[in-house]
Amino acid sequence: MTRRPLRVMMTTDTLDLGGAEQVAVDVANSLDRAKVEVSFCASRSGGPLESMLVDDVELRILGRRATWDLAKMVDFGRLTREMGIDIVHSHGRGSMRFVSVCKVLGLVNALHLFHDHFGRLHLDRSAGLRTRVPLHRGVDHYIGVENRLCRWAIDAVGLEPDRVDLVRSGVDVSRFDDVQPVDLRTEFGLGDPELVLVMIANYRPQKDHPTLFRALAELEAEDRERLRLVVVGSSDADPVYFRGCMDMLERLDLSHAVHSVGVRDDVPALLAGADAAVFSSKNESGPLVLLEYMASRLPFVATETGEIAHAVRDDGVGILVEPRDFLALSDGLRHLVHMSADERSQMGDLGRTVVEERFEQAHVARRIEGIYERLMQRER
Amino acid sequence: MRSSRPPLPRPRFPPAEVDLSVALATYNGERWIGSFLDSLLSQERFPDELVIQDDASTDGSVSLIREFASSAPFDVRIEVNEHRVGSTANFALTLGRCRGRFIALADQDDVWYPAKLRRLIDELSTDPTITMVFSDADLIDESGAPLGRRLWSTRRVAGALRHREVVPEELFAKRALTTGCTMAVRRRAVAAALPFPVELDDPVAPMRHDRWLSMISAAVGTVRSLPEPLLGFRVHPSQETGVLVGSQLTRAFGRATAGVLTAPLDQGVAAHLIRAAQLETAADRVDDLGGFEEAATLRAVAAHHRLRAHRPDGPRDRVRQVVDGAQCGAYSRDALGAAAMTADVIRALRPGHAPSER
Repeated sequence: MTRRPLRVMMTTDTLDLGGAEQVAVDVANSLDRAKVEVSFCASRSGGPLESMLVDDVELRILGRRATWDLAKMVDFGRLTREMGIDIVHSHGRGSMRFVSVCKVLGLVNALHLFHDHFGRLHLDRSAGLRTRVPLHRGVDHYIGVENRLCRWAIDAVGLEPDRVDLVRSGVDVSRFDDVQPVDLRTEFGLGDPELVLVMIANYRPQKDHPTLFRALAELEAEDRERLRLVVVGSSDADPVYFRGCMDMLERLDLSHAVHSVGVRDDVPALLAGADAAVFSSKNESGPLVLLEYMASRLPFVATETGEIAHAVRDDGVGILVEPRDFLALSDGLRHLVHMSADERSQMGDLGRTVVEERFEQAHVARRIEGIYERLMQRER
Repeated sequence: MRSSRPPLPRPRFPPAEVDLSVALATYNGERWIGSFLDSLLSQERFPDELVIQDDASTDGSVSLIREFASSAPFDVRIEVNEHRVGSTANFALTLGRCRGRFIALADQDDVWYPAKLRRLIDELSTDPTITMVFSDADLIDESGAPLGRRLWSTRRVAGALRHREVVPEELFAKRALTTGCTMAVRRRAVAAALPFPVELDDPVAPMRHDRWLSMISAAVGTVRSLPEPLLGFRVHPSQETGVLVGSQLTRAFGRATAGVLTAPLDQGVAAHLIRAAQLETAADRVDDLGGFEEAATLRAVAAHHRLRAHRPDGPRDRVRQVVDGAQCGAYSRDALGAAAMTADVIRALRPGHAPSER
């Protein structure tokens, strides 16, 4: 008798633009349909990433308002039973807590795999009851997107090492192929600078735009005038931070050199139209955006934070500097500006090769399928 | 439209030239400096340079150091001040001369255990977000014999630190948690902390260089605490960093209690205002580096000091002010925080408050 495919439900809080949500969508889209049937549940609300889910992924949006939204827990439990879900694969700690509570209350019988993308481990290594209890009582297996998270899960939370796996995030490189580049100089009225740099990052403190702005200010005037920076991302997420950034641009007399263009749904086309990229985050667990830069063949300067930056730091695919060090970031930008067009192009091509060989989404999907299989075998 | 605020300052701090510096500020330390230097030679990981700034010692410290430098297996770079500048300013000079990517601070009278530098630098090396790491220490007496006590518990900070691998800037803003000789710092944190502001040296409420450095390090990155003791911290009457044990501690407690009960009521006001000014300077420094959230945290602690400096007219309002401060977490959540709150309540109830200025 042929065994039916596993039934997996990806679960996130929302489908807003964000690293964890993007990974959930990418995993849902890329799992082998011969082995896995995939559905998707956004337990709070939908969002722009809905449109990226492939057609055969059934999407349910629950509209819950709190972790302890009992009515939605009952709905969620009923949904998993009706759909015969074998594994609930949650992304993000809010979502994990929701699913765990459902499991503890007996509303969900499926196995629970938690995919942790937590990006503030540098500030919060605590494993208090709010985290420890749901992880021990309601999670059957833990995936961390970076090594530090896995170490934390074992050392601080006390999970068994054989229930913890590191799975680096990946990217579907085909999304960056055959896109029509946006002419950034025209689109955003940049004039005709030698280099247009892009940074994909919502205006949130974690992304540390001020360090980038100070780094730009540190460049010699001649170098600075050779480039323009386009920042793609929401300015609504943290209005106080955004105002602080804009004030800093004025005080650095850089308003003309930095263009904040808000949220865009054509990121691959924007990247295709850029000459190089930059990323200044203080701390990340991924960050996926580096893979998108590499998939777009862009040379880049980035802060060395997160599993991906760590994994590629010796590969020469970008210029990596310590986070929050504007002088180091400025040196990186200076180096990028002084590279020849050929050297930048070679760096971009190398990035693309590294992504295809090590970070293609298909690799991630196969690895996760292997974890599903082990999890099912262990529970049989 | 141009911002109404002035252009941002553009400090340049030279890039690192070596991996690890040890920064040592000395003053009349001939009695113990030999044992410190010996402990440096026993390290599992040598520094690339030992940077010494002597604050015009009048004893044989400099000769001992020069003798050590002639055979040390690493660079020893000594400068001697023409006139005494004081401990905090001398540390600023020392740090400014360090060329290392990582800088470990040293005191002339301590004894480092062999693993100290390796453990601190391993920790800094594993994660570039970490700007400072510091450890606990064993207390030793003048002869170097162990006193059987640890630094953190003696300074009543063990509770705050043991269960907290990451120490936020707010804790450093509220009280001194660290001692320079237990810490190693990433270069960019030193760059952010220098120059030390003049407010630190105010005689009414001085803030030592190590507290300033740790507060700035936490605000521009991550500070980690290691509960293992990595050095012997010498307790003796002439040390600059006060660690009180035995009868010294009892006498200090008595003086503090008497102060709460009998000292003029406006005596603490100036200290609170100066502490507030120091914290606001730190906030401005951090703000200029884009740490808006962290700057807001520092300003909140500064605001609490300003509030404590302003005392309402009636005793009920004064007590309410203390309770409000406690409820919003303005006092540290430990024995010293409770003691400070109790002292404020006693002062609030004491007669003789001058009417506040309207």
